[in-house]
Amino acid sequence: MANRNGTAGKTKSSLDRLGGQKFVVLLVIVGLFIFFSLMSPNFRKYTTFVSILDYSYYIVLMSIGVTFPLITGGVDLSIGTGLICYSLVGGYLISFYHVPVWAGMLVTVLFGSAIGLLNGCLVALMDIPPFLVTLCTCMITRGLGSIIVGGFGITWPTAIQPGGWFRNIFKLSTASNTKIPIGIIWVVILVLVMSFVLNHTKVGRYTIGIGSNKEAARLSGVNVKAYHILAYVISGTFAGLAAIAYSAVFSTVQPGTGAGFELEAIGGAIIGGVSASGGAGTVTGSLLGVLVICLLKTGLPFIGLTANWQQNITGLVLIGAVMIDVIKKRREVK
Amino acid sequence: MGEVILTMKGIDKSFPGVHALDHVDLEVRRGEVHALMGENGAGKSTLMKVLTGIYTKDSGTITFEGKEVEFHNTREAQEAGIVIVHQELNMLGHLTVAQNIFIGREFKKGIAIDDKKMNEEAAKLFRRLNIDIDPTETMSNLTVGKQQMCEIAKAISHEAKVIVFDEPSAALTEAEIDELFKIIRDLREQQLGIIYISHRMDEIKVITDRVTVMRDGTYVGTLITSQCTKNDIINMMVGRVIYEDPKTKSMVPEGAPVVLRVENLNAGKMVQNVSFQLHKGEILGFSGLMGAGRTETARAIFGADPKQSGDIYVNGEKVVINSPEDAVKHGIGYLSEDRKRFGIVVQKTIAENTTLATLKEFLNGIFINKKKENQVAQQYVDSLATKTPGVDQLVVNLSGGNQQKVVIAKWLARNSDILIFDEPTRGIDVGAKNEIYKLMNRLASEGKAIIMISSEMTEILRMSDRIVVMCEGKITGELDIAEATQEKIMNLATREIS
Amino acid sequence: MEALKRNPLVKKIGLNRILLVCVLIVMYIGFAITSPTFLSYSRILSAMNYVYFLGFLSLGVTFVIATGGIDFSIGPVMFCCALISGYCLTSYGVPMVPAMIISVFVGFLFGCFNGYLVAYWDIPPFIVSMASMNIAKGTASVFTKTQSVSWPQSSSAEGWYRNLIKIGNIPVGLFIFLAFAILCAVILNKTKIGRYILCLGSNTEAVRLSGVNVKRWKMAAYVICGTLVGIAAIFYVAAYTTVQPGYGDQYNNEAIAGCVMGGTSMAGGLASISGTVIGVFIIALLQEGILALGLNKNYQLIITGIIVIAAVYFDVLGRRRKN
Repeated sequence: MANRNGTAGKTKSSLDRLGGQKFVVLLVIVGLFIFFSLMSPNFRKYTTFVSILDYSYYIVLMSIGVTFPLITGGVDLSIGTGLICYSLVGGYLISFYHVPVWAGMLVTVLFGSAIGLLNGCLVALMDIPPFLVTLCTCMITRGLGSIIVGGFGITWPTAIQPGGWFRNIFKLSTASNTKIPIGIIWVVILVLVMSFVLNHTKVGRYTIGIGSNKEAARLSGVNVKAYHILAYVISGTFAGLAAIAYSAVFSTVQPGTGAGFELEAIGGAIIGGVSASGGAGTVTGSLLGVLVICLLKTGLPFIGLTANWQQNITGLVLIGAVMIDVIKKRREVK
Repeated sequence: MGEVILTMKGIDKSFPGVHALDHVDLEVRRGEVHALMGENGAGKSTLMKVLTGIYTKDSGTITFEGKEVEFHNTREAQEAGIVIVHQELNMLGHLTVAQNIFIGREFKKGIAIDDKKMNEEAAKLFRRLNIDIDPTETMSNLTVGKQQMCEIAKAISHEAKVIVFDEPSAALTEAEIDELFKIIRDLREQQLGIIYISHRMDEIKVITDRVTVMRDGTYVGTLITSQCTKNDIINMMVGRVIYEDPKTKSMVPEGAPVVLRVENLNAGKMVQNVSFQLHKGEILGFSGLMGAGRTETARAIFGADPKQSGDIYVNGEKVVINSPEDAVKHGIGYLSEDRKRFGIVVQKTIAENTTLATLKEFLNGIFINKKKENQVAQQYVDSLATKTPGVDQLVVNLSGGNQQKVVIAKWLARNSDILIFDEPTRGIDVGAKNEIYKLMNRLASEGKAIIMISSEMTEILRMSDRIVVMCEGKITGELDIAEATQEKIMNLATREIS
Repeated sequence: MEALKRNPLVKKIGLNRILLVCVLIVMYIGFAITSPTFLSYSRILSAMNYVYFLGFLSLGVTFVIATGGIDFSIGPVMFCCALISGYCLTSYGVPMVPAMIISVFVGFLFGCFNGYLVAYWDIPPFIVSMASMNIAKGTASVFTKTQSVSWPQSSSAEGWYRNLIKIGNIPVGLFIFLAFAILCAVILNKTKIGRYILCLGSNTEAVRLSGVNVKRWKMAAYVICGTLVGIAAIFYVAAYTTVQPGYGDQYNNEAIAGCVMGGTSMAGGLASISGTVIGVFIIALLQEGILALGLNKNYQLIITGIIVIAAVYFDVLGRRRKN
């Protein structure tokens, strides 16, 4: 239902433009940061800061990508196990077939795009519910990764080995052994690029259009199917990029893991203002939302809670975020 | 008024079993607002769908700007310059106004969308229309009226030469209608041809230059608006058809008790201060044009939609109805106008549908007594003469009329004393219609009280003991069947509201 | 084919189910040919171990899918039930019977949580599933301090619970499972709750306008599912004794696969318990067959994934044709 009162509509929209929810999320991030810093001296250290970032890159990247299918009103549950699968395959080629590292990385990302394409086709062309499609590809990628590498953990080249340069993509070591988290730069660039794509290109415009009113978009002459597929390709590709971030940070990649990563990414996106029913959302919002989750995940152990608590808290925060969405909508109807 | 821009001549269109358009003519000139009028189902929408390429005509010619044309889809019509502003809005609520207007044909600057240019163009359009809308505003933040203006702007941005307005004022407030008229007059100034479909007589007088009236799929005539009266138009709309056995007097016995009393019911814009009474054994017809608020009233009484205020009395006692559950408890049954969506569960059997509202009575401990269920369902199949091989038949396999009987059986099984029939014969063929009518008469004579919402004048005059007429969410009059005529009803249904 | 469809006996049993049984038999013969050890009784018993817990999961999720919803938290919730009750048993000295009750109760609570959020808050089921999946994993890990839990062995004092699945060589579990399947079929087809669940899955609004409290019955489907998941946990530990926190997701897909293969429609309103039972047997046979062929569990993940997509696609196609 549209807001009947013109002036009320105006104020609401200007608040929206300031990014009401984003602002609140930003406050939460700052609050959490201060809280953890006060509670634990260790948290205040520079090395902790760097390691928080290390553990965040891959989730942030997944979150940027999954924002697109979420905005179409769908979801991509395959990104978590997919990430591990792509990383395993890329690492396997590098370690056992002596493929150059850059080529291995390329394969990793393209594999992600391919699974994204598969998801998109099943959703857009065959009309299968997105959660079901991606639940299946989630399992398939999990099995596939293990089978391809033969069930063993894969180690991408370490920093001192030849080809280890790729680990410096996210973290530079200086001569005095101080780490510089240059991964931030890439994340910021990608966030800016994808923000641009979402807000200023046809791809983004039609992604929102599909989530907002698919039929109206189709009647306006938009090739709805192609753009629907593309949303999943973007999500898959970013899962591939996340796989590289993951490989660069962790020494070995274990087959069979990765389940649950997708929830952190999707949860972050929804906390950051992506509507669970599609149509609304921003890349910067997803970034902020996912930072909340990463902070909780890395901060909780510093105040004596195991990381397991974070799983509970993520689940509850996700439900809470959607509930707020539901309440808002109910109010609008009234 | 300028030269003729569009001529439709001898347009004929049949659907299986229905002759929807029978050699209809329409002529529109540049710089004119041409009203298209007729009762519900007169064929106005079909004619417009033929014009814009949604339907293909069986015969007849369409001449546009001197050339004979034939459109195969809305796109082709749009490109030629004929656009339609629909009653239901086709908007993407999450996008901005300008983004909506130009969706599917965005301006681009390299790979980026040139939002700045789109905003400028949209602003230009709005200036041309003299509307004050911010092109960067999010669509869902606009009022329905403003959204409609955006649809019009979108239509004009297609370089339209003929614009069809399909009941544009139905959802607008008075002030918004004034604004709409200002825009339409401006468009007329700019020598566009405008076809205006509306039920509101007062609007027709104010805004249009000529009016073409249709009835039952045929062309009745074209009048110059300033030279005719409201009664002239009404007479053309209702015609002089002889209806099958209209009721001449009320069949309700003197002093029948009031079973349902509704007082000052309010629910949104479509139900304003509705009050009426329903007697035992009475068929109360609810007449009015499409969008008069009759279905909304019924749904509010039944608790299907929330209401703001109002009291409902059943058998003299005040009752609280907040959900269909409450309504059913008080013996009210509702047969929706949209059977498939709100009436039946198509993938289930007749027996299962029949007992849906009364399952409790068919329980043996925790088990459903299928034997009893089938027996009762069979009983209703027999007494309502539902045509089916058996009660275990899936409802999806039944015809419309028989599906309706299953819904009726559901409420009869519940022993509901108050039945609301919302368009009971929509989409049902003639033979089955008569059966439903007989059934309703029988139910009334057995002491059930019936509210019948119908858009068919024949049905109203044939079935009702008393008629309530609604217009714009308000009750505008009440007629006893003895004094009711088509003209009187139409007059109330199109009453000017000042 | 048309003539076959019209045969009254085929109509009564359902072509779908006959085909499924054929698939089951063909698969069995196929595996038996390729792997000689496959025919041994111990293989069959080992396949049965899989049937039990997966069967309960599948039965549960059938109710949810019948309402047109989904629950893919069932795998982790089952592990959560087994871990919490097992930890009570081993570390807090709770006796066996109360421990089992705890397991069922935990499942019941998760069912209430999911159902309440889906029915009364209109939160999309997949989001609720994601959240409760995480909560289940997190709670179990916190409760057990991230340790795996081993239920007692058969030889120990409390080991009698393992007789639930097998006494000597008699597969008791099979009878219990089939008894529950019949119970579920009765609930779904013969009682008010089942009737309402199926009807609201088909057309929620029509049922609401018939004066039925649809929210309550929708929630009930999730509660039934949760309870059955709690029971599944008992059968899981009876078969395998050891549970590790943080796992269980792979069973979601297998349970859903068993269910949709059996002819339960993802769109809701159509559900078949007997189909689900056959579907579960096929999945269990597949798992055992894959192991017998010397392949690992990962192939099963892929094959079940493909099965689910294919089964759902046929469902979508069937509905498209009808419209």
